[in-house]
Amino acid sequence: MIETTINDRDDLIKYLHKAMVLEHATIPPYLTAYYSIHPTTNSDAAHIIRVVAVEEMLHLTLVANVLNAIGGTPDLTRPDFVPSYPTYLPDGERDFVVDLRPFSPEAVETFCKIERPALAPDGARLMPASSTATPSLVTSPTREEMRFYSIGEFYAEIIEGLQVVAAQEPDLFCGDPARQVRPEYFYSGGGQVIVVSDLNSALRALEFIAEQGEGLDGGIYDKEEELAHYYRFRQLHFGRYYQKGDSPHDAPSGPRLDIDWDAVYPVKVNAKLADYPVDSELAQVARDFNAEYFAFLGLLDTAFNGKPSLLLDAIWYMFRLRDGINRIIRNPLPGSGGLHAAPTFEMPTAVDSAPGASRGTDEAARAVAR
Amino acid sequence: MFVKFPEGEAKRTDPTTAGGVVYDAVIVGGGIAGALIAARLGAAGKSVLILDAGPAEDLTLRGYESYLDRFYSATNKDNQSPYPVNPNAPMPRGTDARRIFPGVPDSSAYIVQSGPFATDTTYTRVLGGTTMHWEAKTPRMLPEDFQMRSLYGEGADWPLTYEDLAPYYNEAEYEIGVSADVDDQSYLGITFDDDYVFPMQGLPLSYLDQVVARDVDGMPVELDGVQRELRVRPWPQGRNGVPNPAYNGGEGYVPEGAVSTYQVEVGERCQGNNNCVPICPVQAKYHAGKTLARALQNPQVHLVGQAVAYKVHVDEHTGRVTEIEYRRYDKPDSAHFTTERARSRLFVLAANAVENPRLMLASGLRGSNGLMGRNFMDHAYLLAWARLPEPAGTFRGTNCTGGITELRGGRFRRRQAAFSVDIHNDGWGWARGAPMSDLADLVDAGGRYGESLRQGLVDRVSTQLLLAFMVEVPANPSNRVTVDPAYTDHLGNMRPILTYDIPDYTMRGVAYARQLSKRIFARLGAEDHTQYDPSFWGYAVYGGEGYEIRGGNHLAGTHMMGHDRSMSVVDKDQRSWDHENLYLVGGGSMPTVSTSNVTLTIAALSLRSVRAMLDQLAKESAPIRVTSEARAQGLPREVTL
Repeated sequence: MIETTINDRDDLIKYLHKAMVLEHATIPPYLTAYYSIHPTTNSDAAHIIRVVAVEEMLHLTLVANVLNAIGGTPDLTRPDFVPSYPTYLPDGERDFVVDLRPFSPEAVETFCKIERPALAPDGARLMPASSTATPSLVTSPTREEMRFYSIGEFYAEIIEGLQVVAAQEPDLFCGDPARQVRPEYFYSGGGQVIVVSDLNSALRALEFIAEQGEGLDGGIYDKEEELAHYYRFRQLHFGRYYQKGDSPHDAPSGPRLDIDWDAVYPVKVNAKLADYPVDSELAQVARDFNAEYFAFLGLLDTAFNGKPSLLLDAIWYMFRLRDGINRIIRNPLPGSGGLHAAPTFEMPTAVDSAPGASRGTDEAARAVAR
Repeated sequence: MFVKFPEGEAKRTDPTTAGGVVYDAVIVGGGIAGALIAARLGAAGKSVLILDAGPAEDLTLRGYESYLDRFYSATNKDNQSPYPVNPNAPMPRGTDARRIFPGVPDSSAYIVQSGPFATDTTYTRVLGGTTMHWEAKTPRMLPEDFQMRSLYGEGADWPLTYEDLAPYYNEAEYEIGVSADVDDQSYLGITFDDDYVFPMQGLPLSYLDQVVARDVDGMPVELDGVQRELRVRPWPQGRNGVPNPAYNGGEGYVPEGAVSTYQVEVGERCQGNNNCVPICPVQAKYHAGKTLARALQNPQVHLVGQAVAYKVHVDEHTGRVTEIEYRRYDKPDSAHFTTERARSRLFVLAANAVENPRLMLASGLRGSNGLMGRNFMDHAYLLAWARLPEPAGTFRGTNCTGGITELRGGRFRRRQAAFSVDIHNDGWGWARGAPMSDLADLVDAGGRYGESLRQGLVDRVSTQLLLAFMVEVPANPSNRVTVDPAYTDHLGNMRPILTYDIPDYTMRGVAYARQLSKRIFARLGAEDHTQYDPSFWGYAVYGGEGYEIRGGNHLAGTHMMGHDRSMSVVDKDQRSWDHENLYLVGGGSMPTVSTSNVTLTIAALSLRSVRAMLDQLAKESAPIRVTSEARAQGLPREVTL
C-alpha cells in the first residue's frame, strides 16, 4: 500500500469537498432514469432507484456534517460542483463514464459500476492515473496523478486520513455544532442522519456511507441490515430480489421483480440545451429547470452553512423539481428521431443567458431569505 | 421504521382448518380496533383469529399503489374511489345519498335509508378498515363530553371519565403516531401528564391557516353569557412529523412508514400532499394496516379474509356466544361462497357502529333491553365557503391543519350543540368539487387553455376558504340501525337500514355556526359564497333557514356503554351485558360523539378493553365445551346463490 495522501486538515477538507461533489454527481443520473419511467409502471424498479437516490442525498448531508465538524465550508454552487455529463466520477474511475440515461439495462449497468464494492487489485487503494488497464473512478484531490478504484476505497482513504490528522491536531473538530444537520431536518428510509462532533461520530458517518453503497465486509447487507446499493441495482439486472442468506457471488434467490423496459420515455442520452430548438418553449422549460435546480443547490448550500432548518423547505422544492423534470420528459425532442427531451443539468453561469442565470440566483436568494 | 406484512399471510390460514380450532379470541373486522386488539392479545400470548370482509390480499406496496392508481384515474374522487367495488362486502359511498321522501326508503345503495334525513356517511371494507380513507385528525374528547347528561341534561353520560381514558389516549397516540404539541392541545379541561409529549412535534399551520389567524385570533364571541376569544389552533394529526426527542422520558420515537414487502422506505414524514382523504400517496398517514402487519408477525395471530360474518350463535342457556358463522366468498367478483365457523373463548365484534349492530340484529340478538342498533350518531357537518381578498395558498399542505375549538365546550351545551371548526386546505372541494369544478368551468365556460388555463385555475382556487363546522349529534333511541330480511346483499347478508333525523338541539348549533361563519368572513373581508341548495339530499330547514347537512363518517352510539345494564348494551369494558364472552368494540360503544373525530377514542377504548379481555381469559381457563348443535353444523357447506 502506498502512503496516505491526507496529511492535514486542508487535505481532509479538499477530500470532503470532493466527496460532496461525488455524492451529488450520482443524483442526476438516478433522477433521469427514475423520471423516465412511465407513471404507474415499473413500480419495483422505480422504488429501487428512488430509495438509492434518497440515500445519496443522505450521504451528501453526512459529508456536509463531517466537513462542517472540522471547520470546513460546504460549497454547492461553485462552477464545477455539478459535472457535465457524460462524466467520469470525480474520484477517478476511468473504466466507465456516467451518463444521463433513460431507465434501461445500460443505465442499470452504470449504476452497478457507480456503487461497486471495493475490489482494487492487490489491495492497492490508489492506483496511478496512467494505469488505464485497470478500472478506476475517483481521483485524489491532493495527488493529481492518483485515482481510486471505487467509492468505497475513496472513503477508506478519507477514514484513514481522518484518524491520522485527528491524532496530530487535537482541535480538528472545531466546527460550530449549530451547523450540523440533525435528524429533525433530515429523514429518509435508509438510516438516520449522524451528528458529527468528534472522531468517533465522523468515522461512523463515513463508514455508514461506504457500507450503504457497497455492503459490509463483502456481504450484501450493511450494519442496519439494509441491502447495499450495489446489490439493490443488481436485482434489476437479475429481475429478482435478494433475500437474507444470499451470497454476493450468487444470483438473488428472492421473489421475482417485474421490469418492463419498454414502459419508459426514450429520453435522449446526455441531452444538452444545444440539442433544443432555439427559442422553443421546450428549450425555455429546460433552461428554467436548470435555473430551478441551481437555486435548489443554493438552498442546500445555505442549509449546510448554518441554516439546517431550511432543509424542511427543500421538501416542497423537490416537488417543484419533480414537476419540472416531468414537464420536460413528456415531450419529444424535435429532430432527434423520436427521442424525448430530458433535463440537462447544465448549471447557469455568468456567461449563460442573463435571464436564466439571474433567475437562479434570485430564486436562491429568495429561498434562503424566508 | 418499516413493517413488512408477512408474505402470504392473507391466504395462509385455511378457514376450514381454523374452524376446528378454539382460539382465545375471534375478532370480526381488521380495522383499527380489531388490529390493535389482535396485536395486544397476540403479544400477551393469546391465539387470535381475525375475520375480515375485504379481499384476502397481503398488504403490499404494489397493492397500495393499485389503490393510488385507481384514485388518480377516478373521475369522482370520493372516499371510496381508491377501492374496488366488491359486491360481497359492499361499501356505502358518499355518492349514494339521495333525497328521501316520506314513507319511501331509499334502498338503491348498500345502506337502506329510511330517513327522514338522508346521510352520505361511509365506511371502508378492506384490510385496515376506514383508516384507509380517514383524514387522521386525532383530537381527544373533552372531560365534559363524558358527562353530558349530568352537566347539561343532554345526551348520555359515560361510565368512564376523561381521567379513566387518559392513559389509553397516551397509548393510542403512540400506536397511531400522533404529531401535536401539548401546549396547543391543552384547552377546555384537556390535561396531560406532567411530562407528556406527543410522539412527534406538531405539524405546522398552513399559510391559509395563518392568513385566517391574522384576523380571527382574538375575535370575541359571547355565548350563553360567557365571553371567549377565538384562535386558530393546530389539530393533532395521525401523520408522521418530526419525532419528539423528549418522547417517553427522552427515549424518542421512530415514525412508522409504509407497509411494504421489499426494500421500499417511504412515508416516515408527511410531505404535504393534498389528498390525505382518501389516500396518502406515501403512507405517512397512519392506517390500521400498519398495526395489522405488526400483529401478524406473531404466529399465534391468524387472518382469514373474504370472510363476511353472517350470524353470531349463542348458547340459549348461558347466553354465551358459541361461534361466529361466516360466509367466505371465493372471489370478489363471484357470489360463490362456503359457510365457515370460527370458535373461541372470547368474541370481539370490531366491524364498526353500523356493521356491529347489523350483525347482531341479523343474528336475532336485539338485546334484552332492545337497545341494539339504537342511538346511532354521526357528526352533522355544515360547510360555509367564501373568497378571501388575497391569495392564501389554498390547496397547499395536508387537507386540514388548523381549526377553531373554543366552541367545543361550555355551558351553552344545555341549549345547543357544540362544534369544532376545520379550516380546509382543499378549498371549496367538499362543498362544490374544487378544483375539478373550477377546471371544468374554465374550460367549458371560459374557453381557457394552456398557460391561461393554468393561471386561471391558480387564481380561482388560491383564494378559496372553506370552514367545516363539525356539529355534535346527541344520542337518540329513534336514530337507529335495523335489518329486514327483505333487504339483503349479494351474499345473503341482511343490509343495514338506517333511520336518522337531526334533532333541533343540533340544528340550533348549525344555525349558530352559520351566523358565526358570516361574522368570521366579514372579519376576514372575505366574500361569502355560501348557498344552500334546496334540492340537496341533506337539505334541512330550521327556523325558516335552509342548510346543507353532510355526514362525517364518525359512526357512534349503536351499542352504547353504560353503568346500567337496562340502559346500555355494553359495560365500560365494551363487554356485552347479555353475552359475557362477547365484546362489541368501536364507536358504537360511545355514549356521546361530541366534537371529536372518533378514531383516537375508538383506539383508546380498544386498548383499554384488552385489559378486561386478558383478565377474563385468565379467569375462564376451563376447556371450552363445543355444543353438539355447533358440532353438527361444523362441516362447511358449499353454497352458490
